[in-house]
Amino acid sequence: MAAERSAADLECFLAERADHLLRTAVLLAGSREAGEDLLQTAVERLLRRWRRFDGDPEGYLRRTLCNLATDRHRRAGRWRQKERLLRAELRQAQDPAGDVDLRDALVRLLLRLPARQRAALVLRYWEQLTDAEAAAVLGCAEGTVKSAVSRGLTRMRELADEWNDTAAVSGREEERS
Amino acid sequence: MSTDVEDLLREGMERFTADLRAPAGLTCQIARRRRRRRLALRSVTGGVAVLAAGAAALAVIVLPRVNGTGQPAVDAAYIVKNVSNALNATAPGTIAQMTVTTSGGPTGTTTAEEWSNGEQWRSVLYSSPGHPVYDEGYSTTTGYTLVSYLTKTWARQPGLGRPFALPASVLPGKPACAPAIGAFPVLFRLGLPGTSSSASSLPTTVATALRTAVSCGSLTVAGRQTVDGTETIKLTSRPGSLISETIWVSPSSYLPVRVVTRSAAGLPPVQQTADFTWLQPTAQNLAKLTVPIPAGFREVPLLQAIAPNLKQIPVGTLPKPLPHPLLLPSALGIPRPALQCSAAKLPRLAGIC
Repeated sequence: MAAERSAADLECFLAERADHLLRTAVLLAGSREAGEDLLQTAVERLLRRWRRFDGDPEGYLRRTLCNLATDRHRRAGRWRQKERLLRAELRQAQDPAGDVDLRDALVRLLLRLPARQRAALVLRYWEQLTDAEAAAVLGCAEGTVKSAVSRGLTRMRELADEWNDTAAVSGREEERS
Repeated sequence: MSTDVEDLLREGMERFTADLRAPAGLTCQIARRRRRRRLALRSVTGGVAVLAAGAAALAVIVLPRVNGTGQPAVDAAYIVKNVSNALNATAPGTIAQMTVTTSGGPTGTTTAEEWSNGEQWRSVLYSSPGHPVYDEGYSTTTGYTLVSYLTKTWARQPGLGRPFALPASVLPGKPACAPAIGAFPVLFRLGLPGTSSSASSLPTTVATALRTAVSCGSLTVAGRQTVDGTETIKLTSRPGSLISETIWVSPSSYLPVRVVTRSAAGLPPVQQTADFTWLQPTAQNLAKLTVPIPAGFREVPLLQAIAPNLKQIPVGTLPKPLPHPLLLPSALGIPRPALQCSAAKLPRLAGIC
């Protein structure tokens, strides 16, 4: 049986890791407000079982964040609507005159991916987990993570290629003028 | 280029979240959030949940139920369950503040500010020009205190004003709908002192009342709406309810944000809007729970302080609810004949005389 943990232990843990977890939550949720809310809900769940909690709190919080983000996304049922918005936004992003660079465009695309795809990419490239570790967090097979990451990256590569093509055309026009 | 996408994505994520810092004292924030939820049931009872129950309760008491299908509103039930859980999960500490604006009533537009913290509460009623009419409150140390600005008097009576639960048995009608009255009185007060120590202040009462309102078919989900910049879920009463009510709850915390009630067609058009905010228990905010006695005001017996307010209510202007237990003669500590005089003018008291 695990020894009881005190509230101070949780405070120490959060003081050390809360910033990073908040950033993960924001990437999963899509906005600062939603991310903070997600993290608070996850910590609240951890807090309820903290005294007898036996395990890795960061892993637990990460898993809870992913589940909460997926649940909310699913409940809202808006991702198809967001895809339409995305297409409009991609057209804007291709405008080289805009001050948005490709990194921002990629993150914006990330935030509009379906929840599981987004979670897989965040876990792989933000949390730097392996496919197996990400699969354990998401509660799915390793192959599922691989395919989700692959599909997400494919769309990002398409965006990057379109971005570069547009930038090249724009550059040539500028040279001519 | 494609091979760099992963790196660009990493850099983008880094940049996107670069300025994010978790707030200090996250666990304290969470504790506050839980307290808020619980307190919402206490004073919000006066607000939200009560209203949810209100239409059903009135329908049971005063009129035959319009919605007699008995069909539970599934979506509303889900949301109400979450609201109920959210409110029950909070702990005492945070001060709940509710601003209630009433328009179209017999006394014109009035505003009441209410605060509650655990069993302690205070309510100040302002007239339409913004002058205080009366100030009342309860604390465990001093009991019930009332300051009447109409007569420049004040009264104090230990043993009154403590939040309590109305027994379900006080209501006739369908047992499943009866407990809804338990959370009923606060927002439907007549502007009378002595009535706001709500039965609804008990979380269990309100949670029960909410669930009952749904089982009675009085609430339905009307989509999402932005209230003061915050996205909310909108709940409305079904057409034909005696009191039309709209409740907005936060989709993330499931705490009530605003409640608007309107009397139904055929009744005097009264509208009440209640907005909810939450205050930290600082010394300054805790002081708001204390009823100040202005200099020069005279101490009188409680009934004498209440009497001028009773006379302001015109006959038959409001629906006839159940008598509030605090207005029972025994609760007021006054002889029955004294109330009989007021009862002729005050529909609310008619039931007990």
